[in-house]
Amino acid sequence: MRCRAQSRRVRARSPAGLLAAWTVLALAAGPSGLAADPAQDQSPPPPATTRQVGQPKDSQPTWWSLRPLRRPSIPESDGAGSGLRNPVDAFIRARLRAEGLGPSPEAGRRTLIRRVHFDLLGLPPAPEAVDAFEADPDPRAYEKLVDRLLSSPQYGERWARHWLDVVHYGDTHGYDKDKPRPNAWPYRDYVIRALNQDKPYGRFIQEQIAGDVLFPDTEDGKVALGFIAAGPWDLIGHAEVPESKVDGQIARLLDRDDMVANTFNTFCSLTIQCARCHNHKFDPVTQDDYYRLQAVFAALDRTDLAYDTDRAVGDQRKSLEARKRGAAAARKELEAQITRAGGKELEGLDKQIAEAKKAGKEGARPEFGWHSAIEAAADTVKWVQVDLGEPVAIASVIYVGCHDDFNNIGAGFGFPPRFRIEASDDAGFQKDVTVLEDQTAVDLPNPGVTPRRIEVGGKRARFVRMTATKLATRQNDYIFALAELSVLDADGKNVALGAPVTALDSIEAPPRWGRQNLVDGYYYGLKPKTPPAALAALEDQRRQLVSRVVDAGVVQRLEAAKREAEAATAELAKLPAPKLVYAGAVHYGEGAFAGTGPSGGKPRPIFVLSRGDVRHPGKEVSPGTVPFIPDTPSAFDLPPEGGESARRAALVRWLTDPRNPLTWRSIVNRVWQYHFGRGLVDSPNDFGHMGQQPSHPELLDWLAVEFRDGGQSLKQLHRLLLTSASYRQASTADTGRKPGRRAEVIDADNRLLWRMNRRKLEAEALRDTVLAVAGKLDLTPGGPAFQDFVIDKPDHSPHYEYDRHDPEDAKTHRRSIYRFLVRSQPQPFMTALDCADPSMSVERRCETLSPLQALALLNDKLIVAMSKHFAARVEGMAATPRDRVIAAFRLALARSPTPAEARALASYAKEHGLANACRVILNLNEFSFVD
Amino acid sequence: MPETSPYHRLASLAAPCTRREFLWRSGGGLGGIALASLLGSEGLLAGEKPSAQAGSTRPNWAGHPALAFPRKARRVVQMFMAGAASHVDMFDYKPALKQHDGRPWDPGEKVELFQDGHGATFASPWQFRPYGQCGKLLSDIVAPLGAVVDELAFVHNLVGKTGVHSQATLLQATGFNLPGFPGMGAWVSYALGSENENLPTFVVLPDLRGFPSNGAKNWDSAFLPAQHQGTIVRVGAPNPIEDLFPPPSGFVTRGGEAAGLRVLRELNQAHALERPGDARLEARIRSYELAARMQLAAPEALDISKEPPAVLARYGIDSSTKQWPKDINAAEEADIFGRKCLAARRLLERGVRFVQIWSGCDNGFPRRNWDSHEDVKRDHEPLALGFARGAAALIQDLKQRGMLEDTLILWTTEFGRMPCAQSGKGRDHNPFCFTNWLCGGGIKGGVSYGPSDEWGYKPADRSKPAQVYDIHATILRLLGLEHTRLTFRHNGIDRRLTDVHGEVIHELLA
Repeated sequence: MRCRAQSRRVRARSPAGLLAAWTVLALAAGPSGLAADPAQDQSPPPPATTRQVGQPKDSQPTWWSLRPLRRPSIPESDGAGSGLRNPVDAFIRARLRAEGLGPSPEAGRRTLIRRVHFDLLGLPPAPEAVDAFEADPDPRAYEKLVDRLLSSPQYGERWARHWLDVVHYGDTHGYDKDKPRPNAWPYRDYVIRALNQDKPYGRFIQEQIAGDVLFPDTEDGKVALGFIAAGPWDLIGHAEVPESKVDGQIARLLDRDDMVANTFNTFCSLTIQCARCHNHKFDPVTQDDYYRLQAVFAALDRTDLAYDTDRAVGDQRKSLEARKRGAAAARKELEAQITRAGGKELEGLDKQIAEAKKAGKEGARPEFGWHSAIEAAADTVKWVQVDLGEPVAIASVIYVGCHDDFNNIGAGFGFPPRFRIEASDDAGFQKDVTVLEDQTAVDLPNPGVTPRRIEVGGKRARFVRMTATKLATRQNDYIFALAELSVLDADGKNVALGAPVTALDSIEAPPRWGRQNLVDGYYYGLKPKTPPAALAALEDQRRQLVSRVVDAGVVQRLEAAKREAEAATAELAKLPAPKLVYAGAVHYGEGAFAGTGPSGGKPRPIFVLSRGDVRHPGKEVSPGTVPFIPDTPSAFDLPPEGGESARRAALVRWLTDPRNPLTWRSIVNRVWQYHFGRGLVDSPNDFGHMGQQPSHPELLDWLAVEFRDGGQSLKQLHRLLLTSASYRQASTADTGRKPGRRAEVIDADNRLLWRMNRRKLEAEALRDTVLAVAGKLDLTPGGPAFQDFVIDKPDHSPHYEYDRHDPEDAKTHRRSIYRFLVRSQPQPFMTALDCADPSMSVERRCETLSPLQALALLNDKLIVAMSKHFAARVEGMAATPRDRVIAAFRLALARSPTPAEARALASYAKEHGLANACRVILNLNEFSFVD
Repeated sequence: MPETSPYHRLASLAAPCTRREFLWRSGGGLGGIALASLLGSEGLLAGEKPSAQAGSTRPNWAGHPALAFPRKARRVVQMFMAGAASHVDMFDYKPALKQHDGRPWDPGEKVELFQDGHGATFASPWQFRPYGQCGKLLSDIVAPLGAVVDELAFVHNLVGKTGVHSQATLLQATGFNLPGFPGMGAWVSYALGSENENLPTFVVLPDLRGFPSNGAKNWDSAFLPAQHQGTIVRVGAPNPIEDLFPPPSGFVTRGGEAAGLRVLRELNQAHALERPGDARLEARIRSYELAARMQLAAPEALDISKEPPAVLARYGIDSSTKQWPKDINAAEEADIFGRKCLAARRLLERGVRFVQIWSGCDNGFPRRNWDSHEDVKRDHEPLALGFARGAAALIQDLKQRGMLEDTLILWTTEFGRMPCAQSGKGRDHNPFCFTNWLCGGGIKGGVSYGPSDEWGYKPADRSKPAQVYDIHATILRLLGLEHTRLTFRHNGIDRRLTDVHGEVIHELLA
């Protein structure tokens, strides 16, 4: 209270702005952990030298988080038998001693194994593992357990979730329309992989900001850039509004703001974004610094970045794309030359030609064909079939692709590159299936709207089915569409005409899309309209005009440029498809969302905006950062034509500089928080003046230095913290004893760690545990996210309909880290359990208890379905209700029930069924809380 | 002090010492404690004495600086027209559009349009007529509001930041044009808490045909504790609140349910007994009791079957039509919006603090949405007639029940629409000028504040436009709150609903 009230007063009073706020606040800085007890206030940091913005050389920052990192000495222990296990305990105990407090006894082994399992894996221990650990005579049994868990692949899945909370990762764009982002997941998998490999933290940072620059030959160097694009993206503000408009500039300003904020909140625990509109009120960040950081990202957009895992292919692609772009540029230039030379006459002629072409197109009918539902992954299998009513001797099958200008695709829209065509008398195609054509092994070049014909030779069958095994790319998503499927009998009659059509799924959007369009006898280009004579004449006229106004050489060069572009395109088509990751990268687009690619990836000029208003640009700034490293200016020393990648590389050098006072403190504090339930600094995203002060500043610095200088290994840090006596304490306050009572009075919220904190399971850990105890958890790692919803209206604003999802769908029984995260329509069950909001950086989960949460855990269809599976599982494990309850308890709570518990649940199970008893177990407080 | 609820004020269930721990965990830090002060303040606001249990670790919330004014309103209804409703076709009569209809529109400056839809001057397709003692001119498509126009206060000089739907919706809903900020209802829930622990404090009545731009981001609690987020209530659906009842399962029975909750409670209490000092365990036990009570309270609140036919008719509710025509039509829109308005009244009566009603959200084709780029008449007529009927009925109904005096109603949208035509019959976005109106709790009726220019293109006085911050500041003032002091510290910033802006519009206050 006190700290907050003071800061407000200071803000209101500080006419000199930044400088005044800085010094006054340093004096007024509030208490550390024991905020409500003024007697426990730490002395404020010494006022020392007044610090000027811009950091004069001889000044020393007064604020704790900006002081240079120095390794503090480890406090003296209080003698033998004190139970210290490592230096962490020395720091914790010293502070407890100072308050006249002592630690709690070590927790029992059953408690420890459950605690450390959830902490490191987010999953419960198997009953056998609990038994073995309890029986292990090795005094180092616990250390062995920690090592075993740290090497489990589930460790990365658990801890990646923490990281994704902070970087606000999601699988849709958010904002208006909230379209899926099907290539976001490779970044999520990268984080899991990096954690499991124990990638040094500095390298982890470098890859996420500038992996493509610093490690150009690695896959991780590309997919890690998903960090920059992890946050939401305003599709309409970019795709429908060009940068020439105010609204377009605002959208891009906010987009870069998210990139800058994400970088600084995540790696430096600094809320830099306030400086978008004014110099930071509380921290020494000027508007210039802030816009220098915007300049670092000024060439980038959020886009699908294509990359090759084979370097040779990548080089080839790069050179072909350069050729294509060169040809396109030449063509553009030559055409402009012709346009200029042709003057009004050519302009008029072009208009007439366009009109004639349009008139020709209007002959096309609106029934495009049949269209499947839209998928996020290409490898989804889809089928469509016709029912001929009775077995027919089939002479041939003809099928034709669609034509739709959507996304400039045109001919062959939705035509799957891999598929097979089969005939059968079984509508389900389970038996007596004859394969008519198999194109499932390699990609078929898109045939456009040219009909394809299979000679069948009189095979009799009632049903003909086409199954796509690899879907066609639409935009950022995948479909299967077909204009016509004809089945000819021996007389050449199309017996499929008007026949019933069924499909795995289908979009009914008449007149263009519908199942019956597949057998309506019409497809695009059925009777290709020969260009009307008028059009041909106009085009002739144009050729003559052009040859009159420019040299023959110009026309020849134009033709050559066209051929060159075509050749490069054809060569590119021969290369294996690149992989895609949604990342921060130079975007090559057209129209409103062109990106900087077409102009050579040159960073956009960045101006300091008065009050953050794009209509009031001030001076232009060069790339740079905040001046928090002594003797390092905020502007980067880069050659003016260094290109955008040099900017990101420079930022990464600054972020990972051993002298950076924020980076190392930030990460050890985050790790500490996830283990102990609260950070040493209780505002993990904000180490500034409006954040908290550390409860144990020396411990924080000691850990930061140890970590920085000891290989930057997160696993090593986990090991250190988890094997400390402080972590191994019991979580229950023994208030019957005098020390316990005293601790409750002095430090009720346990800032000083005189006991361990009891953990409430996060949404993901809880859901995964429910699946695990029910025996349904699928531990398949990686790949596209599972979707526990059905997408309706994918074309415009997708509706993500969770109520239509079947909880028995085994594809969705994977770990929650692999769940598809929709920004606009959050999953109701997970939201009730306080899962992170992917639209904002979540430094720490909110923890609520509400009737809506109780209702979710009682009634959500997943809980109800898994209660049944849980019951079936323990039914197979034991014979009597009592033994089944014991088995269920051991699975869910890592212990046997007390006689009273067993009695209550067994009699309830007898009367109302075991599934209901299992549902009660999933709702126990002990299921949600870990001691 | 009335008994506090774990649902909205869970912390007060805790022993004083662990209350603080809970607040830390619920994501506030010091700001959290300050904020949470407000959680316990309902009694204070009602003029009661603060709890005597204040100890050294339980701050005394009396005299919190945010509680600065007498409270005129106790609850809020926000009607949000998604897609951007046209001010010049409903509330802001512009004779100049008629005079220049069909002639090139030139306001004498460069006009930047969202879709470049700069056609000729476009007169509203509807007649405007005067209503009430104030004589306010309303167009025929909002004629039902004529009966209550003397209760309404119009603000005609609102300006937004951009013409992009998503940002504009967020701006009007949360006060920020980017995601990650709490909706106004979440702030109000946070500040005032609940009056009925058996129902959510902040209820959202979405258009069941689709969410607005940004979806749940508009009613999110963002960094505020999650219990303040808007709870979606699907009026007319069998499971109006997510997971209120179990799905068909073959094993969950009514009897088994009650017995199961007894066993759960028994086991949870034994567990908590061995773990003294953790208030969360007791609070969680209590949350199951409240859940059971919500299972009774929510369906009762939403059951309109016992409402007299005359009331249903006034709201435009038509249960006789089972199948609506395919095309958008006024009767269906009135039925849909009217049901939500009636549900709102019933929820407000039962102590719900904030109800947000959405109109016209499904941003697809054919349009059932206010984004009339192609044809204003086609979309605006049924949508406006629909919402106006329900809104007027709600205002009259609240007045009759003596609730209008402390229920504040805000009608808002993303931005306005242009005075010129787009593709002949439509209008492009106009973020430079649009209308809001307010009504009820502490609002002076019959007022038209802040005129727009002759076209309805920009405010008449461009130096002093109204912004969403001013509307929010005014609403908070009427709720007894000083908007600059209702703060929550998040990532190092004391966040406010009104950001660093906001001035109370005193001309609107009774």
